[in-house]
Amino acid sequence: MENTSQVPVTILTGFLGAGKTTLLNRILTEQHGRKYAVIVNEFGEQGIDNDLVVDADEEVFEMNNGCICCTVRGDLIRILSGLMKRADKLDAIIVETTGLADPAPVAQTFFVDQDVADRTKLDAIVTVADAVHLSSQLVDHHEAEEQIAFADVILLNKVELVEDNDIVKVNDRIRKINPFAKIIKTTRCDAPLDEIVGLNAFSLDRVLDIEPDFLESDHDHEHDDDVTSLSFVSDTPLDMDKFQDWFGNLLRTKGQDILRSKGILNFKGEEERYVFQGVHMLMDASPMGPWPKGKDRSSRVVFIGRDLDNMNLKEGFENCKSA
Amino acid sequence: MNADLEKLQESNKTELERRGSIFNIGAPATEAVTIRDQIAVGFGDGTVRFFQSGSDPKIVKAHKGVVLSMTNYEDHVLTGGDDGRFLKISSDGNIDEIFNFGSKWVDCVASHKDTKVCSSGKTVYIWTKNKDKPQTLEHQSTVAGLAFDNKGKRLAVSRYGGVTVWKLNNNKWTASNFTWKGSHGTVTFSPDTKYIVTAMQENQIHGWRINDKADLAMRGYPSKIKSFTWVGDTPYLVTSGSSDAVCWPFDGKEGPMGRKPIVVANGGKELATFVKALNGEKAVFTGFTDGSVLLAEIDESKKPIMIRSSTGSEVSTIAISSDNSQILIGDMKGSILLSSLWADN
Repeated sequence: MENTSQVPVTILTGFLGAGKTTLLNRILTEQHGRKYAVIVNEFGEQGIDNDLVVDADEEVFEMNNGCICCTVRGDLIRILSGLMKRADKLDAIIVETTGLADPAPVAQTFFVDQDVADRTKLDAIVTVADAVHLSSQLVDHHEAEEQIAFADVILLNKVELVEDNDIVKVNDRIRKINPFAKIIKTTRCDAPLDEIVGLNAFSLDRVLDIEPDFLESDHDHEHDDDVTSLSFVSDTPLDMDKFQDWFGNLLRTKGQDILRSKGILNFKGEEERYVFQGVHMLMDASPMGPWPKGKDRSSRVVFIGRDLDNMNLKEGFENCKSA
Repeated sequence: MNADLEKLQESNKTELERRGSIFNIGAPATEAVTIRDQIAVGFGDGTVRFFQSGSDPKIVKAHKGVVLSMTNYEDHVLTGGDDGRFLKISSDGNIDEIFNFGSKWVDCVASHKDTKVCSSGKTVYIWTKNKDKPQTLEHQSTVAGLAFDNKGKRLAVSRYGGVTVWKLNNNKWTASNFTWKGSHGTVTFSPDTKYIVTAMQENQIHGWRINDKADLAMRGYPSKIKSFTWVGDTPYLVTSGSSDAVCWPFDGKEGPMGRKPIVVANGGKELATFVKALNGEKAVFTGFTDGSVLLAEIDESKKPIMIRSSTGSEVSTIAISSDNSQILIGDMKGSILLSSLWADN
């Protein structure tokens, strides 16, 4: 099925009280003439201003495909399939998750279910974070870390209630977990909507936007199970077979701890750039056209996850360099 | 030039397309069931339309959104919608609202004689004759399929992790669980009621022999199985999901255990999306992703017949009138072909 017929789906995560409903109502009321379906959960905040609101139970199901961490949102598969039978075409679908939801099963649904992947596309994971409470939530709830780790866009909301130097601190904390999300500081979620919807953040060509100058990871985190990120750059072309062996094995054995991965790869003897992005053990990869003329052909990869220090990632990546 | 083009298009039509009627509804056809000499079709615009040879379809504005599920009930159809309504509709357009679930969808419906059943969320609701209040059956996850056995004594409910088979004794339902890892969708009893089979979220179907709960895992499909149908006296369970109609034999003590399926009606690079038995024959109609439909005998040496040519939209439903005289084919773009099956009709 051609891409143009795929309905974009935005996933809205964030703890209770962070401002998800405020953002949702802004999207629904400020974008005139667009038809949205909103999928909400039964524990959600009330008062959503839309014709088409679907009640869902967040049903996280394991796939029976031998992949131990492959969970999907069963209710989403059912509801998206129902919505695609509507006579009127939807411009977009927004899925609001419960405050304590892990975003991985939602994202994985778009990788695993062919019907969902044919008819809809994951546009972006948007996380609304409460600037006042995020630091303590990150300590108390691993779900808060996951919501930051999976996000393409993070609205750091309620900044008006926080001192400037505390905003810098919480911003740095977010950056340590997730180096590529866009952070927007807001009061009452007042970010421009075109920075929140219609991003196509999960399309492979958006991986090309990864900045080559990553933040250097310092390893001063307190707990081994904290979510952190690591990134590597290489100007030496990589050996395709070596990379596939290493990366395939890595996702198979450590995929449970690797929340997201992204990369642009320069393989020896290949004219085209290769890009990939993964969610836990699942991955999309494709050649993405020739390298731009006059620019460095450097490979860049990013990992977000737990216990990354014990995966020999740097050594593994270095070993993929062609002789 | 135009005349030549028209001639060419005409000659590419199948026999059934030439003698039948084509209706473009503009909304996906979601379900079709037969009531006497009429075929009722549910659509993605919430309408139920009653088709009958030689007249315009009767349009009933039933649901606000999509007709998600439909079955026949005496001279009526029962429908479930994404507007939360469970309806009983007569072919002259009378709508009787059995229940309104509000913002929860009515995903599945079933009936047996005077018993009306629907599911919404994790609960199955059963209305029996002369009772206003439904009995309810609870499940651990959302119900994805409902099927009665042919006596109406057992009701199979598919869900995550397997199937619950409810048995009716002295007006009380008792549960028996059939377990298999994964998500189970559409469910069916074999005609002899010895087996239950489900279409799974994964690209496979799963069955159980009811008396000893022995598992039958039928795998190897390139896509999800959205449709199956029982064919012939053997009988065969014919399934969609592959480039052919895949026919599993359910005769003998072991059914399809350790046996290979027969494959008929090859669609080339197209995948089968809907299958429907031709009543009383060892033959099946198979609809494909491009809208084409083949009629094939369950015999690999026989050539299938082209019933409908490609429309560019996947076949989502096929129904045959109860006297085997008419066929109705619907697709996801809402194109309907209604035609007589036999030339001399």
